[in-house]
Amino acid sequence: MKITLKKRLTVAAAAMAMTMAGSVGLASADDDVLVIGAPLALTGGLADEGKKQQDVWKLWLDKINAAGGIDVAGKKMQVKFVEYDYQTDGKRAGQLAEKLINDDGVDVIMAPFGSGHTKIIAAVAERYQVPMLACVASSVSVYDQGFKYLFGTLAPNTGMTESMVEFFKEKKPDLKKVAVYGRDDVFPKAMATALSKSAETGGLDVVYNELYAVGTMDHSAAISAIKSADPDWVYMTGYTQDLILGRKQLADMGVTAPIVTMVTGPAYREYTEGLGDLADGVTSSTWWHHSTAYTDAVGPWSTTADFYADFTAAYKSDPDYVSASCAAAADVLVNAVQVAGSKDKQAVRDALAATDILTFYGPIDFGENGMNQGREMPIIQVQGEEIKVLYPASIANAEMKMIK
Amino acid sequence: MDIIQILLNGIVLGSLYACIAIGFSLVWGVLNIINMLHGSFIILGGYLAFFAWQYSGVNPVFLLPIIAALLFGLGYLLQYFFINKVVMSPVLTTLTLTFGLDMILYNLMTVFFTATPRRVTLDLGTINLGDMYLPVDRLMGMGLALFLTALLFLVMRASKIGRAIVAVRMDRQAATLMGIRVNNVYAITFGIGAFMAGAAGVIFSMVFPITTNLTGTFLGKAFVICVIGGLGSVPGALIGGIALGLIESFAGYTIGPQNATTVGFVLMLFLLIVRPTGLVGVKGYE
Amino acid sequence: MKQFLYFGAFALWVALIAATPLLADNYTIRIAISIAMFSAMAVSWNFIGGFTGYPSFSTAAFFGLGCYAGALAQRNGIPLVMAWVFATLFVAVFAAMLGAIILRLKGHYFAIGSIAIVDLTRLITSSWGSLTGGGDGLNVPLLQGSPQEVSALVLYVMLAILIVAFLTSIYVDRSRLGFGLKCISQNEDAADMVGVNTTSFKIVAYTLSAVFCGAVGAVYASWVGYIDPTDSFSILLTLKVPVMVLLGGAGTLLGPVLGAGVFVMLEEVFWANFLEWNRAILGGIIVFLIFFLPNGLLKIQYRTLYGALVQKLRSAPKQAEKSS
Repeated sequence: MKITLKKRLTVAAAAMAMTMAGSVGLASADDDVLVIGAPLALTGGLADEGKKQQDVWKLWLDKINAAGGIDVAGKKMQVKFVEYDYQTDGKRAGQLAEKLINDDGVDVIMAPFGSGHTKIIAAVAERYQVPMLACVASSVSVYDQGFKYLFGTLAPNTGMTESMVEFFKEKKPDLKKVAVYGRDDVFPKAMATALSKSAETGGLDVVYNELYAVGTMDHSAAISAIKSADPDWVYMTGYTQDLILGRKQLADMGVTAPIVTMVTGPAYREYTEGLGDLADGVTSSTWWHHSTAYTDAVGPWSTTADFYADFTAAYKSDPDYVSASCAAAADVLVNAVQVAGSKDKQAVRDALAATDILTFYGPIDFGENGMNQGREMPIIQVQGEEIKVLYPASIANAEMKMIK
Repeated sequence: MDIIQILLNGIVLGSLYACIAIGFSLVWGVLNIINMLHGSFIILGGYLAFFAWQYSGVNPVFLLPIIAALLFGLGYLLQYFFINKVVMSPVLTTLTLTFGLDMILYNLMTVFFTATPRRVTLDLGTINLGDMYLPVDRLMGMGLALFLTALLFLVMRASKIGRAIVAVRMDRQAATLMGIRVNNVYAITFGIGAFMAGAAGVIFSMVFPITTNLTGTFLGKAFVICVIGGLGSVPGALIGGIALGLIESFAGYTIGPQNATTVGFVLMLFLLIVRPTGLVGVKGYE
Repeated sequence: MKQFLYFGAFALWVALIAATPLLADNYTIRIAISIAMFSAMAVSWNFIGGFTGYPSFSTAAFFGLGCYAGALAQRNGIPLVMAWVFATLFVAVFAAMLGAIILRLKGHYFAIGSIAIVDLTRLITSSWGSLTGGGDGLNVPLLQGSPQEVSALVLYVMLAILIVAFLTSIYVDRSRLGFGLKCISQNEDAADMVGVNTTSFKIVAYTLSAVFCGAVGAVYASWVGYIDPTDSFSILLTLKVPVMVLLGGAGTLLGPVLGAGVFVMLEEVFWANFLEWNRAILGGIIVFLIFFLPNGLLKIQYRTLYGALVQKLRSAPKQAEKSS
């Protein structure tokens, strides 16, 4: 008797599976709507970054809707975003990309924050031949797998480090010794490696060059070693929480290097808020800063200033490179659909590959591997309460200050 | 001179580690529960300190008793109404239950506080002795570790509740027969564990950026420290914490920061196998 | 008779999962793959956690090592299926050697030690950059074919692993080994005294708990095309699998399969409908499980429950009469 109950239970579970399979919504195969799928990290470790993407796309979409949609081949096409939270869990990210493609019938995918999760989703998009735009993945290792449907709006890291070494050498002619300390994670590691290479090519002495493991909660041993190497320049990479701790411990342990660079710390408001006065003087590089001034751009914002005005009005804070790059990715996509004249995936993919346009965020021209071509990327510095731009000269609004 | 700085770093860091582990060790030693909530308790203490500071501007050190008392209340209630029901079950059950409770607490914290790293930006400076540097906030952590250890020692030795905890720890049945309300004693013990986590969190809010992403890291440290120091003795967590701090500090300096954490785990496994009672080793909170 | 019904229920369930590529879209197949994957790991864990009663939390270490062994083998030119086999064997050998050391621990110490293994393997993988790519992770050659073909292939391989795991568990349950393991679970010292070779029995159980996780990991890596240390060695995974087994019924044959299926589907429902709260809801399920289903779904006394319900319904009107 008991056994038949077991069996009944199993059947019940099976029935449940069937119902679930049936209840999953069917794709809307509407020709007049461009459906963009976005798996986002709205909870978990990358929740803050996921929220930024969500916010800026909402702003972008409102703008598009206000104009009644986009013009494609003489007709108005509506745009829709489908977003899911993948909880900063790689397994889920892949699963969601599959859900977006199959259940929601998306025409294109926007990748979430970070090179690692972008890789997972890119593999799914490639398999289904769905075009995908990565707006926050800058490591070359994401793009060197020969994927045909993957395009990234950030430029490669290496350009950043070379111009930085040159710029600092110019500002501080006696610059000699640099200490490099990076988090062992896709993007921070790539930056640390690139910088130590650029520094060596630039004739600097790399006196300390180590990585720290993910989950490190104390840097005192490394910082003591850095202190005894007595560098003129400390270059540390990591996520905001690592960098806040690192900056504080540098001060605690009496490291007095005149240049402290943290990537991407100062690009985020949380960083300066978590440090207070200690943030003063820290330099960083970033892909974009709102004081750049592009005009005659495609998309809903024809100038950088327009974007800045709309963004600050909506969210009461300055947009950072994540916001700008992600909004620009949406512009690029719309442009590709317009060029292709339809949302046919193959046509859109080809149009993307041929993209060469100017957005409010800057010029976008995908290279052979699908990555945006390098260009001059800003170097920024925290000065008092504000973030100032030091480089390139065309948009600089302050002189570099050394940390005393 | 480097050697002395590394040594100091290790001791100071080790004291912070001891703050993490004291409450965890007490709960494990007395209740026989691996408390997966412990890391979240510390972070909760840190968040409460941060928001109280942001709201009132009062230095978190003065808020410490209040926040720790709040955590005591939370711990007491959780033990009294939930964990006591399964306190005699095998480790699989108790561990899973505290893990389930932790998922709830973690979720509440991310929803209400978000995962943004936050820190109390009162920089207390650093004491400079020749070439040596000792950050003041970390020294306060060291003070807290010593204070908590002393407090625990006194409570266990001299107070009625402490004797009751020891009695329950040694023989639950006999203690029941002697008229000790075992459930109450368990709840108080768990509450003390949470109290200590809360106190650590308050100090940590000045030392570390507080974010829910750290709960797992803290918990992992607590595991390692308890195994190294040994369970069931009052100074075990302090000694284990300092031992781990020194190991990580020297490993980080000599073989590089990338492998420093690994060394701690390897040592822990080694000790588990050859000396499961830890460096200090006495059984029970006598 | 009893065995026959076990087979029947299991075969029906497997057939249903296997039919998804014919009936449903790729996303549903993806859920089916998750179910097969977690079921295989749950059946695995049952050898050590269910039969033997050892609170092992090293599942994620075996899964992660399987991912990496499979990926590295493939990257070094070993053909796909051979790479999977290699990963499986590698994990088995690793578990046997580790088991010989770590199984000397009991209770809480064993639990902590087995969790530490997950952290340790993760740390070593991420710091051994020259071999494993470190924090960069590894790209694994993608499976060739259309999405439908790939999903179906992965599903059938995962199901095959599940079937082998399940058959092994039936075999172990009926054999001297299973008897020995249950003795250990009851009272290890007594088992030792009556002549059960507890050490080697435990090592076998621990290895069995690893081997299928390793296989699942290797196939998973080929499927997703990219692995990194944080996702491969996840503490959440290591705790989820035992919860699944507890949900179904630890130490039973069908329990792990049932528990994994129900858990994955519950997760799917909650996660789709309660974005912000899904973690708390899963926590709530665990708490509920511990208090109200301590022995899992399979061991509920459904007849008693039904009887009590009927009785209550019958007595309710009477009470109402009385009180009026």
